[in-house]
Parts: sequence; C-alpha cells; structure tokens
Amino acid sequence: MNNISEEERKKILESSPVGTWALMLIVGGGMVIAWLMMYYGVFLPRGHIG
Amino acid sequence: MNNSAEKKLALTHLWVAFGAFGLAAVMGLYQVIERSGFFGFLESRAVYYASVSTHGVLMGFVLTTFFIMGFGYYTATSSLKMPVWNLSFAWVGFGVSLSGVVMAALPLLGGAASVLFTFYPPMQAHPLFYIGATLLVVGSWFWCVSMIVMYTQWKNANPGIAVPLAMFATTANAILWLWTSVGVAVEVLFQLIPWSLGWIDSIDPGLARTLFAWTLHPIVYFWLIPTYTAFYCLVPKQAGGFLFSDEMARAAFILLVVFSLPIGFHHLYMDPEQGHGWKILHAVGTFVVTLPTFITGFTVIASLEIAGRLNGGKGLFGWIAALPWTNPMVLAIILGLLMLIFGGFGGLVNASYAMNAMVHNTAWVSGHFHLIFGGTTVIMYFGVAYYLWPILSGKPLFCKAMAVKQLWTWFIGMIIMTTPWHILGLLGQPRRIDSVNYNNLLTLSWEPYEVTMMFGGAILLYSSALLLINLYKTQMGTEAYQGEIEYAEPIHAPDDLPEYLNSFKLWNIVIAVFMLIAFGYPILQFFLMETFGSGRWGV
Repeated sequence: MNNISEEERKKILESSPVGTWALMLIVGGGMVIAWLMMYYGVFLPRGHIG
Repeated sequence: MNNSAEKKLALTHLWVAFGAFGLAAVMGLYQVIERSGFFGFLESRAVYYASVSTHGVLMGFVLTTFFIMGFGYYTATSSLKMPVWNLSFAWVGFGVSLSGVVMAALPLLGGAASVLFTFYPPMQAHPLFYIGATLLVVGSWFWCVSMIVMYTQWKNANPGIAVPLAMFATTANAILWLWTSVGVAVEVLFQLIPWSLGWIDSIDPGLARTLFAWTLHPIVYFWLIPTYTAFYCLVPKQAGGFLFSDEMARAAFILLVVFSLPIGFHHLYMDPEQGHGWKILHAVGTFVVTLPTFITGFTVIASLEIAGRLNGGKGLFGWIAALPWTNPMVLAIILGLLMLIFGGFGGLVNASYAMNAMVHNTAWVSGHFHLIFGGTTVIMYFGVAYYLWPILSGKPLFCKAMAVKQLWTWFIGMIIMTTPWHILGLLGQPRRIDSVNYNNLLTLSWEPYEVTMMFGGAILLYSSALLLINLYKTQMGTEAYQGEIEYAEPIHAPDDLPEYLNSFKLWNIVIAVFMLIAFGYPILQFFLMETFGSGRWGV
C-alpha cells in the first residue's frame, strides 16, 4: 500500500474488479458444469428406484 | 470510551463457546473412529449416540450461540461507540443460557438424551434436555433484545445517518434469530416438554418436523451471519484495503434474513406430511437464497482484490498472491471461501428436488453440513477469535505462526474428512448410523473412505488443540496489549442510504407475509385433517 502513488491508488479504487468478475465466472461456471455432471453422470444413470 | 465491562462480557461468552468446541472436537474423533468398525473394543451404540448427540448440541447450539452473543455484544459497543444497554440484563441472559446448557448436558452425557441435535420425535429425551435447550434459547433472546434496543437507541440519536454496517448486520441476525426460534420454541413448549413429562400420551411427529423445519434452515444463517459480518466489516481492513460496497453488504444481509426463513421444507423433501407443491415452493426459495451468498462472494472477493492491488498485486489474478496470507483473519476467509465453493455445490445438489432423493439421509448430508458449518462458518470464528482475543484480554496473541498453522490444518483436515464422507453418501451409506452388522461388497467398498475420514478427524482434533492452546496462552500472557477493533471503511461512504437499507420495518412485514404463505397452511392442515391417533399437540 505504501509503494504506490496517489494516482495509482485512486485508479485501483475506481476501477472495476476484473479479477473478481473472472473468479466469479469460473466458480459459477464450474458449479453449473459440476451440477450437470452430477445430474447426467451420476443421478440419471441410476435409473428408477427399485 | 472505557468498555472493559463489555470486553469481559464478550470474552466470557467466547470462552464458553470455545470450551464447548474443544469438548465436541474430542467427541468428533471418537465418533469417526467408532463408526469405522475397525476398533471393536470401542464399539458401543449407547456411547456413540450419546456422544454424537452431545457433539451436535455443543457445536451447533452452544459454540454458535455463545460466539454470536459475545461477538455481537462487542460489535454493538465498539461500532456504535456506546455501552451495552443494561449490562445486568446481558449477564442474566448469559446465566440463563449457561444454566440451560448445564441442564441439557446432564441427560446428554448420561445417555438419556441420545436424540441427536435435531431431536426429532418419536425419539424421546429426558425432560431436562428439552427444558435446558429452551433456556439456552431464552437466554439468547436477552441478547436479541439488547441488540435491537441498542440499534434503536443509536438510530433515534442519529436520525438520517446510516447505522454502522457491523451493527446493522448484528441486528439483522438478532431479528432473524427471533423469527427463526419461533418454530422450535412452539415445538418444544407445546409438544416435546409436555410429552416427555408424561402429561400427554402422543404427539404428531409430522407437525413437530414441520415446526422444526421452520427453524432448521434459517438457524444456519444465524450461525453464518457473524462470519459474513467479519467478511464485510473486518477482513478488508486486515487485508489492507476497503469494503467494495456498503450498500451491497446491507442488501445481502436483508436478503439473507428474508429468504432464509420460508424455505425449510428442503429438509422434508422425503417426508409424507407435506405435499409436493409446498416442497417445490420452498425449493424455489432455497435457490433464491443463493443470491445473497453470490453477492457476498462477489463483494468480499472484490474487497480482497482491491487490497491485493493496493499491496502491489498486478494482473488478473496477481492480487491474490499479494494478500497478507499470514494474517489469520485473511487466511481464514480465503480457506473459508474455498470450502464454501465445494460446500455450496453440495448444497445445490441437496436443494435440487429430484437429485435430493439420491443423497437424502445419506452420509453426503453429514459431509456437506460439516464442510459448510465446520468449514466456512467456524473457520471464520477462529479468525475472529485470533483478532479479538488480544483486544478483549489485553494481551498480545501468543503465537501468530501457530494460528496460521491451525487454520491450515483445519482446512486440510476438513477436506480430508468431508470428501470421503460425500463419496460414502453416493455409495449409499446412511447417515446417523454407528455401524453396520453385515458385510457385502457394498459395505466393504466403504472401508477405504472410513480410514481416510479417521485421518481427517485426527487432524481436526490436532487443529482444535492448537486453537485452544493459543487462546489460553494468550489469556495467560504477561505482556500488555492495547488495541481496539478496526472496522473496514467502504470505498464510498453510505451517505444517502434509502431507509429500506437502514431499517428492518419493511422487511419484518415482508417476512411475516412470506412465513404466512410458506408455513400457514402446512401447519394449519394438522388441525384440519384426520391423524389417526396422533394428537396435534398431543391432546
């Protein structure tokens, strides 16, 4: 925090958190893929109860 | 402001919380060893169920309630900069809760309340257990009253000004808990206590389960909100940055309070006493409550990104490495969020109406619960404890390196223990069993996972010991420490906050309407339909 200029600091505080957006997309996408894998890869192949 | 009395109040609550945690952690390792079936001399169904019931009560009710109250009192006095309203009243609440714990512990430890922490009938416990649990809850209502009074006093003294976020969140939790505890309070007062005392012969388990479902899901958010409070109000400062958005935090807390309440039937998907339509309604609500979790994920990660970039981090993900990973609070949130991702996925499977049939009442559910609660929620309790202990005790933290090691071992132990637990569920192992008395290829296939879980349990107990030693040594230290809690500043101060983000009046009305829709007829039906022997309240 000490090594950056005031201009850089202001830029950081005002810029969009692109890394967060990327992480949220990765995590959200990963959850959707994992859910689909669970549904089609584990749940449906088990077939009907009994 | 001299708040030494408030510090003592908070620290006493926190010691009860972590004392209960230490005892429960020992029981946890015993249980994972006992149920593996590898150590015949340890096998005892009676001891196992006494242990697992006590473990659940200590972790789920005692650790959480006392932590929440202690953290809440200190948050209130430090964020509002005013003394705790009626300190004697607060101590009475503490005494009522503690006496309830002691009362419930007697039958629990004696094997007369082996009904698990959900105490579903027709399993019946000794009356002292139900009365003790009731007193624990009644004591926590004292805390709720204190928080709401302090919030109101501050708001009246500062009209038009945003209530500090930490206090807004704490008050939200107090309101949530008052709404949440109604279901279980009605169940215990009108069904379980009269039944256990022999005043009535029978009760309707369907009604009891419906009332408990009222409580069972929002109680998770009662446990979680202090964790989220630390996420929003403490972590950004500790990481070297600012809170990304105060308004988004308030919106998340409001959504959590409103939508965590009318959704409890996802615990009853396989129950016959409620119709499909009601279950689907609650299922939709369950997916809605993921929204504030995603808002929280985004806002706190954005706050961490700002901190990482201010610390010199570059590139799309370079800020992650620039975070202060050796700060216990920051490390706790990183590891907690990682566990939230895995646990959150498990929760989506649980909430899916069809897929729930695959994992319902299997070991998967216990694995999920431990990962979310023991992982995300409790690891942040540790982070808060490491931060608050020096402030409350006036002694520097005994060993920061030990704290970091403890958090890592907790994370590793939890992953090692809960991953095979999930797999065991998919392999068909029921939850809440102490052993199986038959051998076939299915049960033999469980064994490698049982062994792995024991290693996870052992690591978790080691980690628990590290925590308690560190806190104890801190308390017993001879050096002095002077510091006060530092709340994170938002990038933009909430100067023009609309009243609906600064007050709960509107939201209490919304909750009342939602609860009437979600639980009105499902409860009323028990008084309208023929129940063939089971009285509604047992009369």
